[in-house]
Amino acid sequence: MSSLGEEYPDDTLTFMLLAIEQAKVAMDCLEVPVGCVIVEDGKVIASGRNRTTETRNATRHAEMEAIDTLLEQWREKRLSQSEVAKIFSKCKLYVTCEPCIMCAAALSFIGIKEVFYGCGNDKFGGCGSILSLHSSSSEPLISGGAPRGEGFKCNGGIMASEAVSLFRSFYEQGNPNAPKPHRPLAQQATQ
Amino acid sequence: MDTWQILHIPDNPPIAPDQQPTVDAIASLIDPKFANTLVRRLNQISPLENLRHVKRVKKKFVEGVYLTGKTQLSVILCLASENGNQLESMQNDVQELMNSYKLSPFITKVCKYAALSKEEWEEQCKLWPTSYHPPTYNIDGITGFSEEDSQSVFRFMKYAIQLAKSSDNLVVNAAVIVDPSVKQVITTACDQTCSSYSPTNKITLETSCCEKLEAFISHSDSDGVLNHQTVHSNSFPDKSKQLCTGVSCLYPWQWADQQSDMSSCYWHPLRHAAIVAIESSAARDRYLFPSLGKIQDKSFEMDNMQSSSAGSPAKRQKTNSTNVHSDDNLTNGEGSSSLSARPYLCTGFDMYLVWEPCIMCAMALVHQRIRRIFFAFPNPDAGALGSVHRLQGETSLNHHYAVFRVLVPQQILSREG
Ligand SMILES: [Zn+2]
Ligand SMILES: [Zn+2]
Repeated sequence: MSSLGEEYPDDTLTFMLLAIEQAKVAMDCLEVPVGCVIVEDGKVIASGRNRTTETRNATRHAEMEAIDTLLEQWREKRLSQSEVAKIFSKCKLYVTCEPCIMCAAALSFIGIKEVFYGCGNDKFGGCGSILSLHSSSSEPLISGGAPRGEGFKCNGGIMASEAVSLFRSFYEQGNPNAPKPHRPLAQQATQ
Repeated sequence: MDTWQILHIPDNPPIAPDQQPTVDAIASLIDPKFANTLVRRLNQISPLENLRHVKRVKKKFVEGVYLTGKTQLSVILCLASENGNQLESMQNDVQELMNSYKLSPFITKVCKYAALSKEEWEEQCKLWPTSYHPPTYNIDGITGFSEEDSQSVFRFMKYAIQLAKSSDNLVVNAAVIVDPSVKQVITTACDQTCSSYSPTNKITLETSCCEKLEAFISHSDSDGVLNHQTVHSNSFPDKSKQLCTGVSCLYPWQWADQQSDMSSCYWHPLRHAAIVAIESSAARDRYLFPSLGKIQDKSFEMDNMQSSSAGSPAKRQKTNSTNVHSDDNLTNGEGSSSLSARPYLCTGFDMYLVWEPCIMCAMALVHQRIRRIFFAFPNPDAGALGSVHRLQGETSLNHHYAVFRVLVPQQILSREG
């Protein structure tokens, strides 16, 4: 995994800023502030932000939202599985926080090309912090072998302090309109 | 396999009590009257940082002459380095302490990890004493199931297996979320990575039946363990490949290789049974406890205003409301009785899965706060609850569920079951 200070393409910060915009939308909706954009050939084709409180579904992370948006669009265009797989293999994800174990697995399953993230996720991170689901398994497969993902390239620490300060202000403001009885502060850190 | 059985799958892989990994430590006999001073000093200059379960001092009762036994004390000075001259690699202050108390060091083995069971702990203490803390969390079932609870577990697993059989064309994974306190089904779902029905047609999906599981199960061995030969498609005729590939968690990458024409089907690479069940239980929650609906609607409008690029929210809302409607039908008969207690996510609920979930689904179940997971068949290439990963042992997570494998009698898997 690369870390802060390396050279990234010029548009990296531009796309990360768009992801941060999404995180701010989440925060305005009283959601844990995580946002992302998916980019194909230098063009944003989807965005997503955390939606766990609204849906009462703790799996509706920004990445899952963005992936579902794309699949919905492509379903309407009647793209085949192989066409969809081909597009995903050209896509880059920019997300404000390291994908959790669930999202990192999902990104590996869909075959994303590359992930750029802001701050690390030391409780749930699936791109190096807790598990490393982005790196393809080098272990030899048992007998024959089911197909396995190639993994994806992962770059962390991009505008991390901005992402962290969003989290900080989210937890400090204490989320006044949130349904408190069902959602103690400690339980909100699901991303 | 003739009988039902429930096996707890612990947080860590089981190790034979006498084969636990050890590390070398440098210890020395000490004069008991210096014990307190030495231990205090050693805890400062040479703390046993990653070995908190290891006791600093070992007591041994030595039979003396004339029946006047005495207690012999030895103390761990520091860990032994892995190479080279032990004494040279010792810290200076430890060496000084050693010299001033005229200690004569020796190498001893201590167990590297804290004991997970009483058996392990007794074995550890034969080498060097350790402390043992039985698990403080107490999830029902870890210490065994009552006859009544076992029967209920078997009943729900049987139900999940029937759902896996009833999906169209493919054998799929099935998920059943249960409230064990009232032994009631909260929601059910099957894999939707590749199905002939769109997810909004849930009722149709679940009432349509097929008999393919039987053919598939005949490839499993008597343990119900999936036979590798069967799973790995290359060596098998198309028919069995077609049958097996339906289980999303077994082949999470395989959706992209679909050869057949799926243009008429609904498919989604991530709609594994557990994910669909979580979505459906969340929809049920919103339907049964709409008190938060206004907040939901407000944020919905906000989203529409502020993020024009966020997909097609109107469509999503439509889908959700259809789901709610379906759930209402699916779980009819309940409702008013459970209205009083609205759970936070799936807190307190159990999940029954026919196959061990993949890592995506296993983590989704952590997020949604499932209390216990029961699965029937392991997932040797992609399973996350003991086969490839062991997510229940990841201590950094903020929620922990207990995991059980349910061994299923052969006749349940056949048509009559
Ligand atoms: Zn996530
Ligand atoms: Zn899965």
